[in-house]
Amino acid sequence: MKYVTTIKDHEYIVDIIDEHHVSVDGVMYEIDFMPVGDQPVYSLVMNGTSVEAHVYPNEDTWQVLFRGDLFSACVEDEREKRLRASLAGRVADNADFHLKAPMPGMVISIPVNEGQAITKGEVLLVLESMKMQNELRSPRDGKVTRLRVKVGDRVEQKETMLSVV
Amino acid sequence: MFNKVLIANRGEIAVRIIRACRELGLLTVAVYSDADRQALHVRYADEAYRLGPAPSRDSYLRADKIIDIARKSGAGAIHPGYGFLAERADFAEACRETGLAFIGPNPSSIAAMGDKAVARATVSRAGVEIVPGTEGEGSLRDDELLAVAPAIGFPLLVKATAGGGGKGMREVNCLEDMPTLLNAARREAEASFGDGNVYLEKLVEGARHIEIQILADGQDNVIHLGERECSIQRRHQKLLEESPSPFVGEDEDFRQQIGAVAVRAAQSVSYVNAGTIEFLVDKDKHFYFLEMNTRLQVEHPVTEMVTGIDIVKEQIRIARGRCLRYKQEDIHANGWAIECRINSEDPYNNFIPSTGRITHTLLPTGPGVRVDTGVYIGFEISPYYDSLISKLIVWGDTRGEAILRMRRALEEYKILGVHSNIPFHQRLMDSHRFMGGQYDTRFVEERFSIEEAEEGKDSHPEIAAILATLVAHRQTELAAHVIQRNERDTSNWKWLSRWESLRK
Repeated sequence: MKYVTTIKDHEYIVDIIDEHHVSVDGVMYEIDFMPVGDQPVYSLVMNGTSVEAHVYPNEDTWQVLFRGDLFSACVEDEREKRLRASLAGRVADNADFHLKAPMPGMVISIPVNEGQAITKGEVLLVLESMKMQNELRSPRDGKVTRLRVKVGDRVEQKETMLSVV
Repeated sequence: MFNKVLIANRGEIAVRIIRACRELGLLTVAVYSDADRQALHVRYADEAYRLGPAPSRDSYLRADKIIDIARKSGAGAIHPGYGFLAERADFAEACRETGLAFIGPNPSSIAAMGDKAVARATVSRAGVEIVPGTEGEGSLRDDELLAVAPAIGFPLLVKATAGGGGKGMREVNCLEDMPTLLNAARREAEASFGDGNVYLEKLVEGARHIEIQILADGQDNVIHLGERECSIQRRHQKLLEESPSPFVGEDEDFRQQIGAVAVRAAQSVSYVNAGTIEFLVDKDKHFYFLEMNTRLQVEHPVTEMVTGIDIVKEQIRIARGRCLRYKQEDIHANGWAIECRINSEDPYNNFIPSTGRITHTLLPTGPGVRVDTGVYIGFEISPYYDSLISKLIVWGDTRGEAILRMRRALEEYKILGVHSNIPFHQRLMDSHRFMGGQYDTRFVEERFSIEEAEEGKDSHPEIAAILATLVAHRQTELAAHVIQRNERDTSNWKWLSRWESLRK
């Protein structure tokens, strides 16, 4: 079974040949792979090298934590990859940014107004949580719209507070 | 003399204090908010009583309820930990009036050191040098602060009078910015401490934050346990502490000199119990008194690791009226200790706090490793309290060994479900400037970037790719087996039409 696995924009062609053989970009490895207990922990012995990792799903990707590094991997078989490629052109460029609360908290200040033009990195909103004030910034240039909260509001995690178009 | 102690705190420090009580054979009483019913401190204590809803002001700050619970449960003493009620003179006074021993200093010492303007005036009279600022001038209005600022000079800091831990603190670079920043500092101070008063302090550039742990009994014996280096900070929040300080290093004369000044500062307020004197030290080893923390510090374990003294047990002994078991000449630092504060925050996203459930955690163990924590698998990191998950402390024979051991321990430490700042500490351990001890209080904010530190690092993404693929493949196969066993749950015609629509 052939997969295309993407980590940080780099694509790896991973071919799972049988239970003990995997090839990566054409290079063959002898492997022994198994889960450990009922935890998201996996042990991989690959050409004699022993690797232990935590692998768990997060939205559309797999999170791989090993030797203290966390990787975010997108695993697709060839059909899924074609499907995504055909959809990609339609939504990518004009995607609006929706500022969602990264954690529950209270809105301390909103230094921008509805309809205001802003630049990347500008502070959109200050949210207080865990006794700290956090400045939430815009990831791109644009215009502030759909301001849904006001100063003093309590917001839940992932609640959309405003949009940048 | 008491034999039951109420711990008026939560999280790792409550667990830490319960452990000390257990070793001394004392019974323990925990208190908890609705968010902490399942917390470790509740489960470890002999008795536990509910305080109220999750927000601190309805639970851990309810001095009246806590004293009431102490009385009803028959506790003879209250240990306040750090934060919450630890530095509230009125609480210490209320304990005393109720006949409860407060495991900490006298209310008068807390009051004298708690109002930093008074604190500076007091130690200044005792001949301890202080940083220029609005010392001893009480609570000034904005226009008064703006008038005096140019005389102190820029850059300067606006700090909360009742503050600590970087809250209600702002850095000001010019007079024009000051009104806005004053406003922000007052608002944050009001929210954190219920007191919006602020003062100004000159910013000592290139400064190191070095603090001295002291112990004082009620019989006029005051000793110091050497220094802790706390210059690794972000927005005035300490992230890593070590003892001894690489800056003080082999300079035993300097160590004894700064230690003696700390003892003098403590004596100036007739201090009893454990406390910490914080100093700013410039590159010429010129040092200024910053503040005194009249409580147990978050970073007390590094001193415990090098001196072998259990500071919490000493606190309890002192509160029971015993005299110190140690004299100054008995105190020797052995080896090196480093503590990393493990916070639930995302180091790749401006250190934004992260809340959620800890789905999996694996603690580092092995030689020279200590973890102080209050969390476990299934624990919910809530937005109500601070973001400290745990403190990872290592000891090594030398600083080099301690750094290598910390690297190893950070690699072993796994926390899933929330973001943690473990990657930040790992990159810090790899930093040449950290290894060389070449850092000041601005290092993290101005000369260290986690993204830059990760460039060109040998991290084997191809192995991660194989692992992710194997796990995904395994999941697909398991799902396929389930479907085969039960046959398809919809008609073949529906499957066909879905398949067709996928191919369009």
